[in-house]
Amino acid sequence: MRRDMKLMLAVWVAVTAASLAVSYFVLRTLSFPTPGAAEDGIIDDAFMALTYMATPVFGLVIAVLFVAMLRFRGSGGPEDGAPIRGGGTIPKVWFAVTTVLAVVLIVYPGLTGLIAIRQHAKPDLEITATGSMWQWTVDYPASGVKIAGAKELVLPVNQHIQVNVASKDILHSFWIPAFRQRMDAVPGQTSSIYITPDRIGDPSDAAYRLQCSQLCGVGHAYMAMPVRVVSQDEFKAWLVSQQKTAEAR
Amino acid sequence: MSHSILRAPIVRGLFWAVVGFVLAAALVGGIRTAMGLDFWNTTVDWVIAYPVALLGWLMGVGVWPQWGREWLGGKAEPYALTGWQRYFGFSPDHKVIGIQYAVTFIVLFLLAGLAAMLIRIELAQPGLQLFTSDQYNAAMSFHGITMVAVAVATLLGGFGNYLVPLMIGARDMAFPRLNALSYWLVPPVAILLVIAVGMGGWDSGWTAYPPLSEVNKEGQVLFNLAVITFGVVSILGGINFLVTVTYMRAPGLTWFRLPIFVWGAISASLISFFFTQAFAAALLMVLLDRALGTSFFRASGGGSALLYEHIFWFYSHPAVYVMVLPGFGAALEILSHMSKKPLFAYRWAAGAMLGIVALSGIVWAHHMFTSGMDPALHAPFLVLTELISIPTGLIFLSALGTIWQGKLWLQTPMLFALAFVFNFLLGGVTGIYLADVPTDLHLHDTYFVVAHFHYTIVGGEIFALFAALYYWFPKFTGRMYSERLGKIHFWMMFLGFQLTFIPMFRVGIQGMNRRVADYPAAYGEYNLFISFAAFLLGASFLFFTWNMLASWFRGPAAAANPWRASTLEWQVSSPPPEHNFDEIPVITGDPYGYGGAGPAHNRPLGGLAAGSEGGS
Amino acid sequence: MTAAHSTVHGAEGHASPARLLRMNRMGLWLFFASDALVFALLLSARFYLDGLHTPPEVKQILGLVMTSILLLSSLTAYRAETAIEHGNIARGRSMLLLTAVMGSVFLAGVVMEWMLAEFSPGDGYGTAFFSMTGMHAGHVASGVLLLLMARRQASAGKFDGGGTRAWGASGIVMYWHFVDVVWVFFYPVLYLIH
Repeated sequence: MRRDMKLMLAVWVAVTAASLAVSYFVLRTLSFPTPGAAEDGIIDDAFMALTYMATPVFGLVIAVLFVAMLRFRGSGGPEDGAPIRGGGTIPKVWFAVTTVLAVVLIVYPGLTGLIAIRQHAKPDLEITATGSMWQWTVDYPASGVKIAGAKELVLPVNQHIQVNVASKDILHSFWIPAFRQRMDAVPGQTSSIYITPDRIGDPSDAAYRLQCSQLCGVGHAYMAMPVRVVSQDEFKAWLVSQQKTAEAR
Repeated sequence: MSHSILRAPIVRGLFWAVVGFVLAAALVGGIRTAMGLDFWNTTVDWVIAYPVALLGWLMGVGVWPQWGREWLGGKAEPYALTGWQRYFGFSPDHKVIGIQYAVTFIVLFLLAGLAAMLIRIELAQPGLQLFTSDQYNAAMSFHGITMVAVAVATLLGGFGNYLVPLMIGARDMAFPRLNALSYWLVPPVAILLVIAVGMGGWDSGWTAYPPLSEVNKEGQVLFNLAVITFGVVSILGGINFLVTVTYMRAPGLTWFRLPIFVWGAISASLISFFFTQAFAAALLMVLLDRALGTSFFRASGGGSALLYEHIFWFYSHPAVYVMVLPGFGAALEILSHMSKKPLFAYRWAAGAMLGIVALSGIVWAHHMFTSGMDPALHAPFLVLTELISIPTGLIFLSALGTIWQGKLWLQTPMLFALAFVFNFLLGGVTGIYLADVPTDLHLHDTYFVVAHFHYTIVGGEIFALFAALYYWFPKFTGRMYSERLGKIHFWMMFLGFQLTFIPMFRVGIQGMNRRVADYPAAYGEYNLFISFAAFLLGASFLFFTWNMLASWFRGPAAAANPWRASTLEWQVSSPPPEHNFDEIPVITGDPYGYGGAGPAHNRPLGGLAAGSEGGS
Repeated sequence: MTAAHSTVHGAEGHASPARLLRMNRMGLWLFFASDALVFALLLSARFYLDGLHTPPEVKQILGLVMTSILLLSSLTAYRAETAIEHGNIARGRSMLLLTAVMGSVFLAGVVMEWMLAEFSPGDGYGTAFFSMTGMHAGHVASGVLLLLMARRQASAGKFDGGGTRAWGASGIVMYWHFVDVVWVFFYPVLYLIH
């Protein structure tokens, strides 16, 4: 019996170590879409923290399953397993440990992450994205530029941007994978998210697309457009060109 | 008695359904014409004529002769169907009803699985190959709601109805005719969904969020009616289980001597009788908005789509536990009997189920972190949702403690039960990312979510369902299934499942959102792989179906207790006699007295002693 | 949810009439709990959609009259139940009929109210008003049908002897009380608050 327990502990440690290694060397580097905004760190760190915390739990279950299937085999014969009912301290300890784990998860990365993502400075720029079936109208109120049926979303780098999300008809959702956060467009209300793009974006990267992510009928999959994050000078020049186009009409 | 096909209950039911529908539609049309409106209006006609048709169906299928006459002071006809005909008529026998539920929903499972295969063909490559966007949405929506119904009703409705009375030493459910009536509400649900697809489907998924569900095609109306009907099934079934277990336990069968599957069934019943009506009410509100112009969910009239989301998730999060709790029960039951070891920490596991019931009602808004609801709600729902991991952890303790030092008999049911533990682990762990607000901001509505809920519902509940199917197949049919085909099914399904859904986690994190017919080319390679894996998963059910059909008709006769298990249903013949027990057993201990850990469960049936005849 | 027994299967086999009665009662109470949630959701929706606002056009006198009739009908329903339980079937029948008539008058009042309403179902209050009164009226209508069914069963001699045999009637009367209690919550929420 002690041998089985030792084997289980060894497998537990091995699986946990392997999962940690995979999480650290593979998941962290290969899985996330291109990080494009200052706020991404909060979300990606929370993701990795949860993953690291999950590895020993994962390892334990795998170890018990593995050792049980390997060492505690029967063939339906007349012999029974050990008459253990497990009413003693083990469930109490388990209950206490899982409770502590849950509380830890709630505090970090749960509530700490929630507080971090909520904190935002006074925005440098405010834009409004209004969804309708099946396109976005993008409004830059400070510059008087408003583009209905936009073909691309242009944003300046290193500016703290407040994005107001609204809808003309049904539910839509504003999501750019590179910026992680999303917000539903709900008819009758305006909701905001805050993003700070911190690198020039490549609009051919699928992470740099504004994708509707709330089922909105036939055109849902195609309610997407590339996102171009440009330097602040380029952004100003682009705004001016848009103002001219609007005047020319 | 005539055996003419025209007198068959289902034919009569269909006849009166059509008569009811036509009469009601004609009446509505007449009134509309008199008011100067078009004779036919799909929404109004279905909303009014469907309930009439439903009444006609129920009465025709057997409610009227068997029950309805008593309502008007008359006498009900004696129940007369025998043999295979019982399964095609209004039968109050819980064993017949259990098989009716199980077979109906497995057929629906295969049908919705076929829709999933079509979806995977479409998604194998970027661009549109098989479907238009509209057809894709219809296929995806049909797959979603049908599988939700399958997950809610197969274990609880099928196995619960068959097993709970047997396991508690009762001769039937508390309300046998109400039970039959509940079942016969199911075929209309399936028929409505199929007609809806025939009308071009509906494109709002199984969630039916307004305002989309108030402005889309009329298939939506049929969807709403179907789900409201299904809600009634769920509520009536839940009430029936609760009264049955409260009042019909055999002498000596105290609450903490109940088999854990019974705990799973009553926990799920508590949820389904108390929460289901929220989904029905929300869809009724959508119908009112559509048909009468009320403004529950229309911003122009002061309503809000968020109101729908709150009501919807108030049911639909607990609904996950209606699916999974009987799965927990079945898996723990099988793990104990096939490890020949007492269920570990039994009382903690039963208590955990009740804890999950209690928490399930106060966590719904974690589905709405990105919905634009009041941000003040984020923190409380984050905290409450993460707390569910504590009772769920106790279920894992019970499972792992049970197999440790057992005598694991790795037959097909046991393999499925062990796979349940593995899958639900991944499903549970990935759920934490979605209950955590910052990570959910990114992962919400991506394939990460798709992978997560398939791991909990398919990996958890459906794997437990197949464990239960193989485990209780000899009891239901009196025949043994083919172990070889069962193992082929298991390994194909297990591998196909992992290979399909593990990559979905990654493609979701990468930025592929769900419910789309087309996607950026960057996700193409993964999707091709996922599709091939999904075809492997789908192909496994060919072996399953063949095994079930061939074994049911031609399998070797099964012993009364082939697993040498100690619960009551194995102490009677396979299949059990019509009234279950000639003599109601007296219970003297819980059913997990393996290895001499306690007194035998029951007498005079013999408890563990009866095991000697088993062992095929 | 009326009769729990069946000709072949069921609790009859090993349950005393007293236990059968308790089972029926529990089933009915669970149904009430389940149904009450629908009403509770509609009631919450009223506050969600329109807060405490009640338009002045609401017909206060009509509402008061209807409420009084419905409350009074609970009394006659109660008298029907006790009469039948004590074996006085004839009195029970007339009380059931009287209750059903009062229920029908209430329904006529609802129809009148809908026709006179000066607000549309499209605004917040109208949405709450029409859906709440509609859902409740649907229950009243089914209650009237059930009362008439109980009367028919009484005529056929199903409740002769009273006691536990009267379950069919008392279950329906309990349902009637439930529907009345719902109105006790709905009336102030729809008519009185400002």
